[in-house]
Amino acid sequence: MFDTLAANAHLLVSGAQMTLFLSAASAVLATAAGVLLALIQLYGGLFGRALAEIFLYVMRGVPLLVMLFSIYYVLPYVGLDIPPLAGGILVVGLYFSAFMAEVFRGAILGVQRGQWDAARALGMHGHRLMLIAIVPQAVRLAGPPYVNTCIMLVKGTSLVSIIGIWELTLAGRQIVERTLSAFEIFGGVAFLYFVICFALSCYGRHLERRLRYAQS
Amino acid sequence: MHSRDDTPLAGSAATESPAEIEIDRVTKSFGTHRVLNGVSATVRKGEAVFVIGPSGSGKTTLLRCVNLLEEFEDGEIRIAGRPIGYRRLANGRRKRVAEREVAAMRAQLGMAFQSFNLFPHMTVLRNVCVAPIRIKGVPPREAEALGKELLDRVGLADKLSAYPANLSGGQQQRVAIARALAMQPKAMLFDEVTSALDPELVGEVLAVLRDLVEDGMTMMVVTHEMPFARELADRIIFMADGSIQEEGPPEQIFENPQTERLQAFLRRFREGHQL
Repeated sequence: MFDTLAANAHLLVSGAQMTLFLSAASAVLATAAGVLLALIQLYGGLFGRALAEIFLYVMRGVPLLVMLFSIYYVLPYVGLDIPPLAGGILVVGLYFSAFMAEVFRGAILGVQRGQWDAARALGMHGHRLMLIAIVPQAVRLAGPPYVNTCIMLVKGTSLVSIIGIWELTLAGRQIVERTLSAFEIFGGVAFLYFVICFALSCYGRHLERRLRYAQS
Repeated sequence: MHSRDDTPLAGSAATESPAEIEIDRVTKSFGTHRVLNGVSATVRKGEAVFVIGPSGSGKTTLLRCVNLLEEFEDGEIRIAGRPIGYRRLANGRRKRVAEREVAAMRAQLGMAFQSFNLFPHMTVLRNVCVAPIRIKGVPPREAEALGKELLDRVGLADKLSAYPANLSGGQQQRVAIARALAMQPKAMLFDEVTSALDPELVGEVLAVLRDLVEDGMTMMVVTHEMPFARELADRIIFMADGSIQEEGPPEQIFENPQTERLQAFLRRFREGHQL
């Protein structure tokens, strides 16, 4: 019944490996840029805050697919020819950094006012105040929405196939074009995406438990 | 029952010692609402000054101004003679000093809050030791020894590895007091430290405060615990409408109040309690 799927499973697994690589690279970029954007929004000067706000509104307001088309079709016109893989990672990473920034900003603002007061009253300020008192609590608050954004990011990488990056979705499409077994192959593709995202969800739950404060 | 007069620094001795906290014509507003209206007060070394008054009178705001958790618009607050937060320029205007300088001065004042504000991600011992180690640079072993000693003093020697979420409110507040004391402050600020506690837990926190008063710790205590203030204060400040309406020794404040405002406040309080 699943002969076609079994015969092409190795291609789908290779595609899934590329999806994992794309997701990991984009997530690293999105996290780094997200932290930076959140800090600029909270503590930056007027100019920095304005720039960050504009960036966030643009990223949140334009679909990822349109962003990818822009990289592929528009940038070469202005003399910027970014290789598809680097371009894909850049666009997916920066696109999701806007959502990450809100996750981190919300987590920092979510730490109770009293915690800031207590840290200040003990003589903490600047990066020490953040690292000792605030960040550990913000990480706990950011955990669930961060994992959620990572899951969205993994699924978002399926769109990079339109700029020619060979990953799980494109691998599936190519196999379907060759075998015409759409139900079987896309079923396999969906299953692999589900496995990756389910593993992420489980890891998120594990982190949540590890970061719980009370040790009963 | 302990009386403040039993302590070496009590009464007149305290009033002769140098000023630890000087509040000089401090004005503070939230938007258009003025919460502190040119308040001046002094807390001398070894003195326990209790601040009482109706809700919204500015007591907590005054206390928070002392270690600059609240910025104030005008006036000056000096800790051991040094102004905190602002420097007066030659043209008479005030200039905010760097946060680093403010933080160094805050470290000289301990503060305990109504809602405890323990760091929930740290054990009890870590809560007490983290600031001495990371801010004052005390060697970890030394800080831990001091932390254990302080936790023993507040009756929590058996809770070193517990997390705040596993403690009762009274226990959390005692840890918070130990945490502030671990910085070996020049003075302690207490902001309604029993207000968030169940009645049966108030006693254990007041016992810690009593112990500190007996030790001659300089203290500024905002409280609604009138019998406690009467028992332990060297001096009581009564605030209403953002101003100090009356101040004096507990006997004068409770037995012979001078202002109508204080008389009305005490009358209302006695209607609800036996004082």
